[in-house]
Amino acid sequence: MKARGRWLGSLVLTAFALFSVCPIAWLFLSSLKSRQDLFSLPPKFWFTPDLTGYAAVLGLGVSENAAGSVGLADALFNSVIVASGGTFMAVLLGTLAGYAASRFRFFGRNDFMFFALSTRMIPPVAVLVFYHVMFARIGLTDTLLGLGLVTTFINLGLATWIMKGFFDGVPQEIESIALINGYSRMYAFVRLVLPMVKGGIAATAGFCFIFSWNEFAFSSILSNTHSKTLPVRVSSAMGSSGIEWGQIFAGGAVLVIPVAIFFYLIRRHLLMGMTFGVLGSKGR
Amino acid sequence: MKKTIFYRLSDKTYCGVFILPALAVLVLMVAYPFISLLYYSTLNFSILRPMQETQHIGLQNYTELLTSPDLWDRFIFTGKFVVMTVGIQMLVGTAIAYFLQRDFRGRDILFTIFMLPMMLCPIVVGFLWRYIFNSEWGMANYLLKLIGGEKMDWLGRSENAIWAVVIADAWMWTPFVILLATAAFRSIPNDINEAADIDGASPALRFFQITLPLSAPILLIALLLRLIDAFKQNDLFFAMTGGGPGSETATVSFMLGKLAFGHFYTGEASALAVILLLIITGLSMIFVRYLLGISQKG
Repeated sequence: MKARGRWLGSLVLTAFALFSVCPIAWLFLSSLKSRQDLFSLPPKFWFTPDLTGYAAVLGLGVSENAAGSVGLADALFNSVIVASGGTFMAVLLGTLAGYAASRFRFFGRNDFMFFALSTRMIPPVAVLVFYHVMFARIGLTDTLLGLGLVTTFINLGLATWIMKGFFDGVPQEIESIALINGYSRMYAFVRLVLPMVKGGIAATAGFCFIFSWNEFAFSSILSNTHSKTLPVRVSSAMGSSGIEWGQIFAGGAVLVIPVAIFFYLIRRHLLMGMTFGVLGSKGR
Repeated sequence: MKKTIFYRLSDKTYCGVFILPALAVLVLMVAYPFISLLYYSTLNFSILRPMQETQHIGLQNYTELLTSPDLWDRFIFTGKFVVMTVGIQMLVGTAIAYFLQRDFRGRDILFTIFMLPMMLCPIVVGFLWRYIFNSEWGMANYLLKLIGGEKMDWLGRSENAIWAVVIADAWMWTPFVILLATAAFRSIPNDINEAADIDGASPALRFFQITLPLSAPILLIALLLRLIDAFKQNDLFFAMTGGGPGSETATVSFMLGKLAFGHFYTGEASALAVILLLIITGLSMIFVRYLLGISQKG
């Protein structure tokens, strides 16, 4: 009976792995195809690689259809600054707020947690116009600072929730003992508690980075020229002259690489962190 | 030991200092658009035509929206999409996590492979699936023909298009459910599972009587987050169907985008945004009450 269960398991896992990988493999293959090969029937699995898509995305060969006017180096720079800055701020503020929500009983604590989560529910299109107006008023239009602020905002709710879960898993006694022994709460927080949730911070940062790096709806409206991020630049390949499939696929391939590396680095922490503290920690 | 300022602060102060920065960012970014939304929703105003005289028209935007049958069709379509895609994600995600419990060689690699779709840029994922589902030269129809099926018009007919988007959305976001479910399953203390084994519980019994109830709180959080995201899913529809054919595959959120940035009916779009936010927040509130209730017991 056990053997049969194992067979079924392997079969399901293999099938799902194929389902997960094949479209991505197809993305990479298609990103190397020339225009004729992209639309060939039956689809070609063997062809001469054609790098025009990459060249256009990387801004090497300047063709008429090259995606956007901002060079790749600029868009890459913008994306790195906005995604890492936004991630850093969201994790920092989320860690502080998550700690407070986990440790202190304050008025409206549950309401605060719901409010934090509810910011995730806002459809970007609902508020975009007014962010545009607000940014115009305070001079943040088309700036990296403005985009960073939005990035911080869209990740902060989830970061607070995940971090609160991690802090819930750390026994309160740690601070109690530290306080009794004459240490400050700040010391207990920075030196004792934070090292225990290192993995949680990594997992939170991982999630925030994925969302920030790939964020499209806000940046497509709020960054017109100077602060254009990579996803926005890649999507400009669907211009008036039709969809430049090669460029879109090449852009997608370029975009996924940093995320995959980042994910690989934090893979061990990711699992521990995703219980949001609602199950309690193991062995307690 | 040097006494710094940190020793003189009370817990209350710490609490305030820790919460305030996050609260400030959240309130700033929510308050301005919300007050604006409420204000503009009562105006006959278009951001493209600011010179045109704007009038206060009270709740006319709301009544017009709520009485138009089109909006209700959009809500029904959105609901259908959300139920289909989230249902599939939860079922498949939990099943995969179940099979991932066993230790075997290459499990970590497999796990990383499963996570890959989530890392791609959503807008690119939309175009990728649009390419795959193309009725002429798409991979989907090629494979369908290979196994002896008929060519299908995937994106041109709304009854097929909803499935195409559901497949794309489930492809991208089932990993998230796998991740959370795996984390939940792993945090169940081993002694409980061992005790069940000693008592001779069958795997099915063990799963439904022990694993599932114990990981329910996490699975509910996964469900909530997926429901929220599916409800506001926009990138995939934008890239795959553009709401078409006609506006048959437009979700409420897509319709909102069209009102705000296609027609630039700022007033009407604001009213729709208010309606949409009330619905999402209300539903989530009920959900979270239930959720927080569970987590406080445990």
